[in-house]
Amino acid sequence: MAPKIEASAGGMEHGKMLAIGLIGALICIYLVYLNTLMSTQVFAFFGGLAAVIALWWGTDSIKKLCSYGLGTGVPSAGMIALGSGVVAMLFATKLAVISPLLVPIGCVVVAAILGAILGFISDKVLNMNIPVMTRMIAELTVVGSLTMLGFTAMVAGTFSFGSLILGSISVMGLAIPSYAASVIGGCVIATIFMLGAIAIQHPFNACLGPNESWDRTQMCALECGFLSMITVAIMSIVFLSFIAVVISFVVSIILWGWSYSELIKLSKRDAFAWLDVKPIREVGGEQ
Amino acid sequence: MSALGGGAAGGEGINPVASVIALVIVLASVGIVFILYPAALIPLIGVIIGGVLISFGVHFVPVGGAPAAMGQAPGIATGVAMLAAGGGLAGLFGGAWAAGHGLWIALGAGAMGGGVLMAITCLMVNVVYVFEMGIPAASGKVDKDPITGDTYPAYRSQGTEGHGLPFISYVGGVLGGILAGTGGTLIYLQLLAVYQGAFASWVGITPEGVATLAVSLAGIFAVGMFLVAAVLTAYNITGTIEGPHDPKFKRWPRAVIGSSAACAACGLVAILLVVI
Repeated sequence: MAPKIEASAGGMEHGKMLAIGLIGALICIYLVYLNTLMSTQVFAFFGGLAAVIALWWGTDSIKKLCSYGLGTGVPSAGMIALGSGVVAMLFATKLAVISPLLVPIGCVVVAAILGAILGFISDKVLNMNIPVMTRMIAELTVVGSLTMLGFTAMVAGTFSFGSLILGSISVMGLAIPSYAASVIGGCVIATIFMLGAIAIQHPFNACLGPNESWDRTQMCALECGFLSMITVAIMSIVFLSFIAVVISFVVSIILWGWSYSELIKLSKRDAFAWLDVKPIREVGGEQ
Repeated sequence: MSALGGGAAGGEGINPVASVIALVIVLASVGIVFILYPAALIPLIGVIIGGVLISFGVHFVPVGGAPAAMGQAPGIATGVAMLAAGGGLAGLFGGAWAAGHGLWIALGAGAMGGGVLMAITCLMVNVVYVFEMGIPAASGKVDKDPITGDTYPAYRSQGTEGHGLPFISYVGGVLGGILAGTGGTLIYLQLLAVYQGAFASWVGITPEGVATLAVSLAGIFAVGMFLVAAVLTAYNITGTIEGPHDPKFKRWPRAVIGSSAACAACGLVAILLVVI
């Protein structure tokens, strides 16, 4: 077993972050369904918020996992999270043929099952023997699938499979249905995949080290999430009405600006505190 | 090379109970598909074989990580997941381009895509090492190159585990690219066949619609499964490996069992998409 090195002391308890992340992301994704109920598209930005809340939680899961020596660097955990998350998320969108309300909860359930299998394989079959591995890989798969589902809901304004595969193109003022002009058919989903992967890999990878602090890493996660959200808002020009895109874009820009200025403040605080070279904080372990 | 400098985990040996459970997951996935959607049975087996090829292939790739970037260990200076994604996805795209020309040509194109990318990467890595960092290629794990017979101890700097990219590692990198590229292409082609068959029966869908949707869905699922198999293999290697002559190479049976179970589970979910 690898020795455990505490990444940062203090901060919110992981179980509490899990609860906030999971429930918050699910509520935000369900709020996107208001689009369908009220025949509008202006609630699409809630999808982006759901993704950012999930990323905020996932960053702490990555931190818990990577405080044991994985040997492969932090980004690999982000790649497996999104790689398995996209499989669960696309399957879950198809549940909309039964009921659209099944999609978000189905996404969490399928991702948790898939993640538990992958976690078991890496912990026991590959002999990693890390106590938190099965749980954290399962959490990361849920985070990956919720991030994908959130950004997909933001770009399309809906999360049912039927709407994701059928877009429309305008020829001389006439709207003609087209499979190629849809979120899945146009492979916009591949861009969302990478936007989510970068946002989950980056924060802990950038902030880790002896003076890593909980609030700075989490703020970096929010900043990365909102930055991806801006890009998703720009991509949604193709699928959503003008007013919905403007709302998404303005919300993303304001939140990103806030998180970026907060991150810079926290970085300056930590840089100032780091006047003397101190050894890496080690709590417990066998070394 | 781990996040906070903690020693890499990864014990030796195979855990028999867990391996049996993994094989049960494979059989259960195959069984569920056989009951619910028999037409996808052969494609699911293809997906599992693809995952096995990826995880076996990744073991050949010489991964150096951060120590290699400082010239203190042999290999390419990045992580397993990134390197496998680069080589394998290049192969996958090569194979996907040739998908219309039949299974074997597409698999060949995928193999060549992955192999060529790794050959170029390994060549340029050595150009940088030799002409820019000024270090010779010397393996840290063996004293004599198994292929060329070159001896390394005289060229190995003190305090390092070897450096540069020896010939055996170069050959390993190209072989790894070929295997991973073939595996990624195989997963893509099998899923493409499933989706083309299933979507064609939908009411009111055009042939262009079938092709577009099948290619997009098979592509994104293949990328996802490729990354899952590659990262699991990276966890098995725990950090750095020099190539087929490295003692860590002997760990491959574990990764093959693990990746086949992972790809079976992911493939099952991907195929169930067309069932509901």
